[in-house]
Amino acid sequence: MNIIEINKLSHRFSNGLLGLDGIDLSVKKGEFVVIAGRNGSGKTTLLRHLNALLFPTSGTVRINGVSVQDDPVRARRIVGMVFQDSDSQIVCETVREDVAFGPENLCLERDEIEKRTSEALNVTGLSGLADAAPHILSGGEKRRLAIAGVLAMMPEVLVFDEPFSNLDYPGTRDVLLQITGLHRAGRTILVTTHDLEKIIAHAGRLLIMEKGKIARDGVPEKIISGVETFGVREPYFSRMGLERASWPS
Amino acid sequence: MAELTAFSYRTGFSIVHSLDARFKLLLLVIIGASGLKASPAGLLLLFVLVLSGLIHAGIRLQDLFEELRFFLCFLLFVIAIRAFSADGTGLIEVYGISLSAGGLKEGLLVCLRLLLIALSGLLFVATTRMLEIKAAIEWILKPFPFVSGSRISTMTGLMMRFIPVILEQAKETSDAQKARCIENRKNPLYRMVKFAIPLLGRTFDNAGRIAIAMEARCYSDIRTGYKLSSKKNDWMVLFVVILICMAIVAYL
Repeated sequence: MNIIEINKLSHRFSNGLLGLDGIDLSVKKGEFVVIAGRNGSGKTTLLRHLNALLFPTSGTVRINGVSVQDDPVRARRIVGMVFQDSDSQIVCETVREDVAFGPENLCLERDEIEKRTSEALNVTGLSGLADAAPHILSGGEKRRLAIAGVLAMMPEVLVFDEPFSNLDYPGTRDVLLQITGLHRAGRTILVTTHDLEKIIAHAGRLLIMEKGKIARDGVPEKIISGVETFGVREPYFSRMGLERASWPS
Repeated sequence: MAELTAFSYRTGFSIVHSLDARFKLLLLVIIGASGLKASPAGLLLLFVLVLSGLIHAGIRLQDLFEELRFFLCFLLFVIAIRAFSADGTGLIEVYGISLSAGGLKEGLLVCLRLLLIALSGLLFVATTRMLEIKAAIEWILKPFPFVSGSRISTMTGLMMRFIPVILEQAKETSDAQKARCIENRKNPLYRMVKFAIPLLGRTFDNAGRIAIAMEARCYSDIRTGYKLSSKKNDWMVLFVVILICMAIVAYL
């Protein structure tokens, strides 16, 4: 069953620039999709349509069969988005309050909010920092907090925009383990990146974007060798003709 | 990593921590107003009351002094200005300007009142989670039509959350300019403009990103708020503080 269905999606920005150009894409429930491409290729613009942060100039985006334009709040409940800059996603004064921010917006009962908050903190390993102020967290912890904030809203699809940018090795490793763990737990995952090395071993599908279009779409093994044409570095294992291996292993 | 600001919440289990935020706000107003009416002896008693609260809440006096050092310098400056500019009996004369006893007394009184308000505010912020402060603001603004309590409380929360971030960015901008020898430019206006433009640009960009991130998490004015509830303790503390303040204003 397709959880995301995009038909002929185009988006033109207010300055006249064409961000997306006739995108057709379906994503099945439980899929792990990596979207790669050079800066400005339209990756983030595409993701923002899934979360109803941008609306199509033409075409449609359907989440679980319902157009995002008809019910943006529903789309935001089903598709949780983790932004590239965690600092601007964290809006409260303590870790616990920030995780509770989304469920509070959904007008849930206080008991349910507390339950979801504790669960999300446990899953992301932040329970020990529940009362800490976000600005004292490390980069990796902030990224995990952003994930926890989205998880507390119990989305079916998780969308990560450049999740490894500005992270050191332990931070990257932690975030990668979170993403793969969430996929194993049955969630549909979409990750944008221009660095395939870290994530591709876990993906079942690779999309390459170029100038607002999907230039390649398929199983990573089949299309990975040509990615450098699109401004994306070919992973080491592929250049060396080795097997795909998980980055932290 | 940013440092904690002076006025930030500190976890604790004192009586002050356990009080309802609305009561704490009311107590803040009562103590502040009594300070304005009180004589020097009464003011000292109020000081003792607030300092006891701070110590009971687990705030070390040494930290307090450290955090308020610039404010204390400002108060000393106010006392000096007041003492040297007021008319009255001169105590000593420095370069033809006389230090007036009346001015010194007045300056001390003004500064003690300001310090009392600052310490009470610090006690309130250090013992009240932002969540409770926001809920109290929302509750206070409820009777006012055309004022969105929820929006104002969210803005207050965001302001508190982003003060350390903006301070960190200001330091980064300043360091980056120092690295390019901005100190060689003697014109303060030029330096200020070169500092303010990138900092304001970044701050506005961040504000835009925050708004998008909040939208992505379904933010609206209608949301589950924090539930405040008053207890017997709150009423008892309020009653005792009102009695003390009334006695200070009436008899001292």
